[in-house]
Amino acid sequence: MKRAPIVISATVIGIAAVLSFHTKPASLTLGSLPGASATRSSTTTTLPAGAHSGQSSNGTSPPPTSSSTTTTRPSASRSATGAAVNYHYGILSVSVTASGRKITNVAIASLNDGGNFRSQSIDQQSIPILQQQAMQAQSANIQGVSGASYTSAGFQQSLQSALNQLGLS
Amino acid sequence: MGTVVTIDLYNQTEFSTAAASSHLARARTILQHADAVFSTWKPDSPISRLRRGEITCEQTPPEVAEVLEHCMIARGLSGGWFDPWAMPGGVDPTGYVKGWAAQKALAALVSTEIPGALVNAAGDIAGFGGPALGEPFRVGVIDPFSRGDLACIVQLVGAIATSGTYERGNHLIDPHSGRPSVRVASASVTGPDLGLADALATAAAIGGEEALALIEVIEGYEALIITFDRTWNWTSNFPFAD
Repeated sequence: MKRAPIVISATVIGIAAVLSFHTKPASLTLGSLPGASATRSSTTTTLPAGAHSGQSSNGTSPPPTSSSTTTTRPSASRSATGAAVNYHYGILSVSVTASGRKITNVAIASLNDGGNFRSQSIDQQSIPILQQQAMQAQSANIQGVSGASYTSAGFQQSLQSALNQLGLS
Repeated sequence: MGTVVTIDLYNQTEFSTAAASSHLARARTILQHADAVFSTWKPDSPISRLRRGEITCEQTPPEVAEVLEHCMIARGLSGGWFDPWAMPGGVDPTGYVKGWAAQKALAALVSTEIPGALVNAAGDIAGFGGPALGEPFRVGVIDPFSRGDLACIVQLVGAIATSGTYERGNHLIDPHSGRPSVRVASASVTGPDLGLADALATAAAIGGEEALALIEVIEGYEALIITFDRTWNWTSNFPFAD
């Protein structure tokens, strides 16, 4: 029996959003998704509305193919790095990239933990989108991942500060 | 709320992008509004002003009273292990609001054109339908001791929330002592409403087996806790897949 669901995804951070459309007849392939070794083929393009979108095929049989691509409208893309904030194990700052009023990426811009081994896991935990994509890719036949998000006070504070700089709050 | 929400819509056949976009736009508006009202990270949000005592509950948007009422119910059901009124700095419904907002966003997606949808608020997930006709969604629960792996897979019936810090004694406040405390590495709660599941997951992470026993008798809700010594405990009908 054929099983090729069409998936449309949207991501919202604070008040901004990322849309990504996944449909079967994908034809765009531009660059690779950072941080995630995705196993379903996907491409992303930009909606007229300024949202971040794309098209992909969900594999019909596990394990699916191994490519993932992303593109953003370069003209409207801008970034800001939030204030460096003390958190439990050191100092971190968060960077936000937006296209129009839509957020297209969130990442840890700096992390100074004095060599604390936990930095790596906090980095991972702080970027739920990438983490989720990576994990969904690794595990066949699941559609989501539930876990305690490490929305530490430091992460949220720096995120908010970056959003403020972009006029997105 | 300062968090990340992803929305996935599933359809097996033709997909009307325009129809889907309007549903997504409504869902996004709901999330943005919830963030504007309930973000404790925005000093001028109604919840921040309420916390500082600048305004009364009557002066806040009506959904604040709604959320606080739901929080009171959750506090009662959790035996006080979830208690927004015991947080430092004034009433803080954050532990309920994220799930509540995601559940509301999901409701905006319900339509005949969309057979399945998932709203994932940074690991707290609400969904309806499934990835294919007659097939339920399957959601992995992160292994608290190896965050790149899954502890188990759950058949999603409604919603699932997971709480925990994956580190001892950090992050969550024990309402009974007012101090940071967590008894288990990971606590997941499933049930029809993500707001309540979110609150109960927080309760189970702090209250451990005591909270688990309380969740056992709440109709429609199930819980799984993984302790720091890697013991698993779950309620009788926790929806493990496979």
